[in-house]
Parts: sequence; structure tokens; C-alpha cells
Amino acid sequence: MTTFAQNLSSRNNQANTRGLGALPTIEYDLIRAHVFASLITLVISVLFGITVATKFSFPEFLGSHPWLTWGRLRYNHTQGIFFGWLGNAFLAFFYYAVPRLANRPVLSRKLGWFLFWIWNFAVILSGWVLVAAGFSQPLEWAEFPLVVAAFVVLAFILMVFEFVLPFFRARLSDLYVSGWYIIGGIIFTMLAYPVGNVVPNLVPGARGAAFSGLWIHDAVGLFVTPFSIAIAYYVIPATTRRPISSHFLSMVGFWVLFFIYPLNGTHHYVYSAIPMAAQKGAIVASAYLGMDVILVVANLLFSLRGSSGLASRDVPLRFVWFGVVSYLVVSLQGSVQALMPVNRFIHFTDWVIGHSHLAMIGFASFIALGGIAHMWQRIPGTRYNERMLNWSFWLLAIGLTLMVTDLTIAGLVEAQVWQSSAPWIDSVRAVGSYWLVRTLSGLPFLAGFVLFWTALVSRPRSETVTSAVRPVAAEEIVAFENGSTASQEFSWTGWLGHAHVVAFGAGVGFFTLSFLVLAIIPGKELENEIKRVAPVTMATLTASEQRGRVIYGREGCAYCHTEQVRSLAADVRRFGAPTEPWETKYDYPQLWGTRRVGPDLSREFNLHTPDWQLTHLFNPRLVVRDSVMPPYPWLFNGTPNQPTQEGLDVLAYLQSLGRARQLSGFDRQTLTVSVQSETPNMAMPGEPSARATPPVVPIAMTGGYSVSAPLLHPAADPDDLQEEVSRGATVFTANCASCHGPAGKGDGKASASLLPKPANLSAARFSDQRLSSVLWNGVAGSAMPPWRQLPTEDLRALVAYVQSLRVSPVESSTQEGADLVLGKALFAATCASCHGETGAGNGPAAGALAPAPTNLHLKKPTEKRAWDVLENGVPGTAMPPWRSQLSADQRHALVEFVRSLYGPPQENSGK
Amino acid sequence: MINLIVIAISAIMFALLLVWWRWPAFRVWMEAPKYSMLRQESRFDNQETDRSS
Repeated sequence: MTTFAQNLSSRNNQANTRGLGALPTIEYDLIRAHVFASLITLVISVLFGITVATKFSFPEFLGSHPWLTWGRLRYNHTQGIFFGWLGNAFLAFFYYAVPRLANRPVLSRKLGWFLFWIWNFAVILSGWVLVAAGFSQPLEWAEFPLVVAAFVVLAFILMVFEFVLPFFRARLSDLYVSGWYIIGGIIFTMLAYPVGNVVPNLVPGARGAAFSGLWIHDAVGLFVTPFSIAIAYYVIPATTRRPISSHFLSMVGFWVLFFIYPLNGTHHYVYSAIPMAAQKGAIVASAYLGMDVILVVANLLFSLRGSSGLASRDVPLRFVWFGVVSYLVVSLQGSVQALMPVNRFIHFTDWVIGHSHLAMIGFASFIALGGIAHMWQRIPGTRYNERMLNWSFWLLAIGLTLMVTDLTIAGLVEAQVWQSSAPWIDSVRAVGSYWLVRTLSGLPFLAGFVLFWTALVSRPRSETVTSAVRPVAAEEIVAFENGSTASQEFSWTGWLGHAHVVAFGAGVGFFTLSFLVLAIIPGKELENEIKRVAPVTMATLTASEQRGRVIYGREGCAYCHTEQVRSLAADVRRFGAPTEPWETKYDYPQLWGTRRVGPDLSREFNLHTPDWQLTHLFNPRLVVRDSVMPPYPWLFNGTPNQPTQEGLDVLAYLQSLGRARQLSGFDRQTLTVSVQSETPNMAMPGEPSARATPPVVPIAMTGGYSVSAPLLHPAADPDDLQEEVSRGATVFTANCASCHGPAGKGDGKASASLLPKPANLSAARFSDQRLSSVLWNGVAGSAMPPWRQLPTEDLRALVAYVQSLRVSPVESSTQEGADLVLGKALFAATCASCHGETGAGNGPAAGALAPAPTNLHLKKPTEKRAWDVLENGVPGTAMPPWRSQLSADQRHALVEFVRSLYGPPQENSGK
Repeated sequence: MINLIVIAISAIMFALLLVWWRWPAFRVWMEAPKYSMLRQESRFDNQETDRSS
């Protein structure tokens, strides 16, 4: 049987005489170097990822050294995968494929080594070290600091010379689709990368987010995708020895991808303050992209027709096949995610993390691994262990399936909790087991990648590549002959003959178009709206707040906390009114975020007291038992009460979030048409308007914000009461014990650093009304937050439980006969200005005090507690010690009097 | 914005399909690279085969 290879052997001789000349040199050393660099950085990046995942389940894992904190490791994980693993893998492929496609060697071997050193040492190694040391920027897929970004740009410029120039020199009139993707990807990324890295530092807030959104998607769409598709389009025909199904369709896919992908970016900010036209444009582009991917994948899979057995036997081809199928799944998933009815539900959840892992591992990494294995088989003198490679495939496939399934379900669970009124921490608790599974799913990944690496360095060195070459069916030769002849007859395409020029022009053109349509025009619109609506009193951040913002970005806080309330009822109920574009007009770069592990922080001003914030920063689990937030002890000198300047700076920044909105009274204004944006139109049919939805949690506690609390009466029936107490104990342990202590004595882990101290709940009798009010509104001026988002049954159970904590008074009789008349007179003289004449906590000075003076009709302290308060005052409140001003007898009289006030005024003896 | 995207992409697709349908030689020309890629691949494989033998 005549084979295609044999036929082409003789054709090569003819080709040589036709001008194809001798075969170009391939830089195998550079391929090997980049392959090993890719695998080394891959394993390191995966270790970063597993550590990051482990910290979700064990936040103290690896201690609390700043270099090993969650945020910095997370930055290094994604940047390592992007530049280290995929970047090196793609470069190795370029050295293999460009000489073959262009029939020209790459520009220069020396330039290649220079590029290798820049890529791996100036970019990856330097980037990792700088990020670990705290020099980074909080921009997704652009976390390496700007100094490193400069080397990235330099590397891409060098790539143009090294890899694109050979295509220019070749003047190919029949450039294969892989070459188009290589040229387009290099040029487009070279242009998009600096814009995505630099512009958000120069353009603030919502306008900057429009640019960030573009780069977030361009990083995947213009760097990862084109090069991965280039590999797939190369490996499939090179392995099957049959041409791809349709080169025409492959080119249609190429053009549509490069036209559509850049227009997708803003779908990361659906329901945000970015103009709706840009959001909807991105959504439509996402739908188109899904159709394009169907086209590309169908073409690739049709190219495997009749080769299913080969795809099963040939491990590199199987890797590529798996990647192609994943590409279809992840792209269709992405298109669906962009649609508003889906986006409103799953955005910010782990669903998206599953999606991104499916893209980066299932699609890009599997294809890159297949490409590497394919090249490796064909490089003389390499080792290649197919059995080990096969094991690697299955381990990776199992790990990926487990991780993506797990994270997808976790995302749905989170979304479900977020739609409810349950406390935020409930969503963290709900997915705890999923996070553990996610961590475990990283282990097959690690094993699979290590096995892959081992497969390339075990077994004897190969001396020939013939084992990888397969014969080609003779019928393809006929098609080739026809195609070859006919293509020479087609003279209509003079300008198309310069394919590389077209590719270059298209790259620049689409780049300009995407930024114009999705960033510059919407940015102009935002600028005008900000000028029109922003309160004139809005001040820039202070120096301390600005420093705090830098630290906030450095530690990766924006990767778990958003700073944008979306125009969704669920968001507004939880965090307040939707974020307006002007609120972030001084934010360089924007910190909107694309993920929520913790709650949104854009209304943090006055929501928590400074002592709570500092305690939380020092160790979040001191105040929130089940928090997974990393501790930041390096911002303190040993205790939460001793913050460093950096700790104070972060506190200042957190306290500034939402300040301008609150102080300007923006939310109290009647929103006239002149200041309304188009956000009300974002509600889906049947969904309550975001603007018409009142927040459940108060915007600020200490500003005197309160609403009438529902009166929560525990059950009267003893059995029912016992049940409520039992339920209340569970709720208390989960939410209250961190501060109030396990027995409610006010001695929880956080109590040492909170001022005023958490109440000792066993040292007083509290009325239903008092407890209802505190649970509903919190205690302004203290760390006690409102808990109104808890179900009413839980709140009632808490009331029952707290009342059960009161120690049965075995009052001493030392004060028997104490003079209530004297006590009343003393109260009127010394206490009434704050506590009010009747002791209702409504004295003339009460309005200015936070925490407010105690209403003694609703709280009856034990004798000991009342005595202690008179002796020592209540630190952190306006209550002073009276030891030096009042005699012991006078204090005894006051103790008796204030204790007599409990109950409705008309019933108590003191009154 | 939406109209712009839809019209532009539809126009490009329509133009491509029209050319593909109208000029058979264009179809052949468009498909030629997939053969030349294989030819080039085989040249390299043969070179390696020759070298090893």
C-alpha cells in the first residue's frame, strides 16, 4: 500500500526544487528547556493551589507567616499556572511548530535563550518572590507587580521577533490554522496585557473595572485559548496523519473567536454599575462565542472521524481529545453563566471557580500536556514512558471530574444560602465539606503531573521517531493533489496571500475595537454620570487609608470580599443599596472583586467597631468561630490591642468603605430621575427591584440606626421552653460564644481585646424586650452586631437560652434595709443625666452616648454585678467608677435602688 | 451595542459563506493549508527517519 508518508518523501524532493528548500532547524534544546521549566513551575503552582485550598478547611495551616498567607499564595498559584506552566508549554510548542509551519527557523537561538531566561527568571521567579514579599497588584490575572509586567511585555515583543517574523519572512500564501492562532495570540496578548495591567492603575473605580474585565477574559481568550487551539489543530492531523475536517471552518472559528472573545470581558460585571449597554453587549458576545466554540470543536472532533481507536490508544492524542471536549463544555458553561438569570444566582460562588479550573486544567492543560507528549515522542534522544503517561491521564481526569463537580455543587449551595436571609457565615459553614473534597481532589492532580514529568525522563532514550509516524490512507493523497493544484489556480486572493499581514491588521483592529466598545465608550459614560451625581463633599482617602488600601490589595482581600453591591434584591437586602459609579471614583485600581468567600465590604463604614475589626484582623476566629479568613498577626505586636501602623492603616481603610455615601446622605435623598441610573431595569421578571428592597442589616450601627424590633417571647409551656433553650444553646455556641464565652459569662476568646467587654449574660436578668432589641439592632458603640438575619425561631430560642443563663440569685443580706429613698436621691443626683429620671436609659445625655446607657427597667443586674459596675465603671462606655465619689453605704443604696427598677415602671418599688 | 455586534458578525458570516458557495476554487484554496501542513510534517518525519537509519 502506498502511504502518504512514502508519497511525500518523493514529493519532498520536488518541493525542494520548487523553493521549499532544506528543512529548517528546530531548536530542540529550547523545547526541552521550556518543557522542563513548564513542568517544574506546574508542580510548584499546584502545590500553591493545594495549600490555598487546604487553608479553606484549616485556615491556620502552615502557620501565619506573611509569605505563606492565603492571598499571596493564591496570587502565585494563578500567575504560576498562567506564566510558568502554560507560558512555558506554549513556548516549547512554538519552537516545535513554527519552523514546521513557516518552513523557516525561529529568528535566533540566542534570542531564544534570552527569552527563556527573561520568562523564567525575570517574570516567574521574580514575580513569585515579589508577590510573596508583598509587592503585587490586586488585579485578576495581573497580580505580578508592574516591574514584572514590564518584562512580560518585553518577552512578548521578543516573541514577535522570534516566532512571528519567520511567518513574515516565509510569505506563506497557505498558512495553516495553527500558524494563524500563534500569530494572532502573540500579537493580541502583547497589546492587551499592558492595557490590562497598567490602565486600571490610571483609571479608577467602575471605569477601571471595565478595563480589568476585558483583561480577565483576554488572558484566557487571547493567550490561553488561541495557543491551546493551535496545539489541538496541530496534534490531531499530525497524529492521525489525516488532514483536519475543514480548514475553512477552522478559519471561520479563528476569525469569530478573535472578533468575539475580546467583547466578552464585561460579563464578569453583570448587574454592576458599568453601563447596561456594555453589559448586554458582553452577554450577547458570550452567546456568540458559545456558537463559535461549537463550530471549532465540531471541526476538531470531525477531524478525528475514523480514528477513535487511535484516540484511545495514543495517549498524547487522548489528552488533546479530552481537552477539546472540555473546551466545548467549559465554553458553553461560560456562555450560560453570562446570561442574567443564571449570573444573578451563581456569580461570586464556587461554581465560577469550578468553571475556571475546567478551563485552565480540563481544556488548556490537557491540550498542552498532549502537545508536550506529542512533541516529546518526536524529539530524538528523549525518554518516553507511555504507560506512566497513561496513568497520568487517568489521575488528572479523575481529579478534574471530582474538583469541578464538587465546586459546581458548592457554588449552588452558596448561592442558595445567599438568596436567603441567613447570616453570611452560614454559607461558609454549608460548603465546608465541599472545600475539603476540593482539597483532596488536588492530590490526584499533583500525582498526575508528577507522573507526567516522570514519564518524560524514564525509559531508555529513543533514537528514532518512526514509532510515532503512522501511514496515511491513500485517498487523502488524491485530495491533496487536487487541492494543491487548485489552490495554485486560485488567483483571486492576492491580498489574502499575505495572511500574516491580515492577521496582524486584524489583531490590532479587534484589539482597538474591544477597548473602544467595552471600555472607552462606557468609561466616558461613567465619567459623565459621576460628574453629575457624585456628592461634592466626597473626600479622597487619607494617607493612612490609602496605605491600608495597598495592604488590603497586597494580602489578596479583594479575592474573597467584593466591594460592589450588585443591583439584585438579594445583594441589597444583605449589604445595602447598589454601588453607584461615583462611590469608587478615587479607587486606583478598582477592588470590585469577582468572588465572595466573605461578605461584601463596600458598606463597612461604622458597621463594626474598631476593636472588633482589629480583633478580627488579628485572628478572625476570635470573633467569628467558623470563619475561614486568614489571620494577619504581622499587622500587630503580639495582641489585637497592639496594632502596628500597618494594622491601623488597614483599619482606617476598612472604616472608610461606604463613608462618603453615608455621610453625604445619598441614601436619604429622594432619588429623582436626574440621579437615577438604569439599575432598576436590571430586575428579572417576577423579581423585586433592587432599589425597592430595604437592607436587612443596618447600613451603620453606631449612627443611631435602629428599627422597632419584634418582641420575642419564649414559650410559656415548660417542655416547649426546654426545647427552645436547647436550640438556643446551639445557636449561641455557633454565633455568640466567641465573644460571650461558652457559658455566656462574657469571657469568650475575643473578650480580651473588645471594649466594652462582651456582656456577662449570667450576671443580669434581661427582659424579653431588651434581648429582642439587642438581637435585632445590635448594641451601638460595642462589638455586638445585629442578628436580625437569623430566623425568628432562632432569635426566640436565643432569648430563651440567654434568660436561662442567669444564675439564680442567692442574694446576700448585707444590704438588707438599705435605704431605697437614699438610693433614689443619689440616682437622681448622679445617674439620671444619662440613665434618665426613671432609669429608662433616656437621660438628657443619652442621645450622644454609644453604647447607650442601660435601661434599668429591662435589665436587672445581680447584686454583685451592680456593685462591680459602681466600683469600677464599665470600660469602653460612658459609665465611670463611683468608688471615689460615693461611700460604701451610698453605693449599697444605689445597688438596691437600680435593682428595684426592673420591670414596667408602674410595678416596681423604686419607681 | 447589541445590534452592532449581531449585525457585524452576521455580515461577516454571510460574506464568508457567500464566497465559499460562489467560488469553488476558493474552497479548494482554503483547504490547501491542511494538506501542506501534513506534507511539511512528513518532511520532518522523513528527515528523522533518514537520520536514524
